Amino acid sequence: MTDVEVKACLARGREGDEKAILELFHYMHPHVAKLVHANLPAKESAEDLTQQVCIKVMGNLHQFSGKVPFLHWVSRIAVNTCLNQIRYERHRPEIRLADLSEEEAGVVEHLAVSPNELDSSEKVAAAELVDKLLQALRPADRLLMRLMYLEGHTIEEISSLTGWNTALVKVRAFRARVQLRKQYGMLMKENL
Amino acid sequence: MNPIDDQLKRLFQAAAQARPQRSLSPSYGLETRALAAWRSTRQGDVLWDMSLLIRGLIFASLIMGISLLPLININKNTNPFSEDLQLADSTVPFDDAP
Repeated sequence: MTDVEVKACLARGREGDEKAILELFHYMHPHVAKLVHANLPAKESAEDLTQQVCIKVMGNLHQFSGKVPFLHWVSRIAVNTCLNQIRYERHRPEIRLADLSEEEAGVVEHLAVSPNELDSSEKVAAAELVDKLLQALRPADRLLMRLMYLEGHTIEEISSLTGWNTALVKVRAFRARVQLRKQYGMLMKENL
Repeated sequence: MNPIDDQLKRLFQAAAQARPQRSLSPSYGLETRALAAWRSTRQGDVLWDMSLLIRGLIFASLIMGISLLPLININKNTNPFSEDLQLADSTVPFDDAP
């Protein structure tokens, strides 16, 4: 759906056309679900949070000015809702090798000794290990690392998705990478 | 490249490839709830419009009342019998009475 089509849907919605509003809903829902799954706070159910974001968006549709693309506006609401949910979660100060499962420890070892790519079962363990490493970061940094390295967004894209300026994105990315290096370095040392 | 950076890069690449594909269809009833949320704001808009209209009417009648007040006073003062009435109502001193 293009921005022009979105505006047309909104205009029809203002005239009371519910079909147009449902079109908008079905357009934005996969985007919201993807963002929420990517930034899922540990204790929160992704489905509940997706519902919460969708209802918030639909309830505030009249406030959309059209200055930014519709999906960017939706993304900011989704990101802010996720951040608000995880703000009060305590992050773990550090991870020890003993906290990892056998498979996750195997991934650390594989990466240290072999330049070969991980096989598919190890990739699942790698995803779990990354989740654990990210838990040690602050919520905003965690979100940024997910968007940047797991979702593959550029700095400019992250800036428009989150509403943070590019300088802030770069600073947060730098800070998060330092923290990740520190965490992973400790795991490597223990593995030796 | 720093060995830690290299390993972290490979780790994140592997993790990105392993991310499960989840169903992105809306859960049961979400469509209805979202539509209800939109409808409630529309009703709010109508109510807001009504309250604005009512406030406008009150304000307009207030201004009309204020602007008519001097006219009422003028009418009071231009009563043709007002001076006679005032005279009749006043006490006349009779100082030179025997």
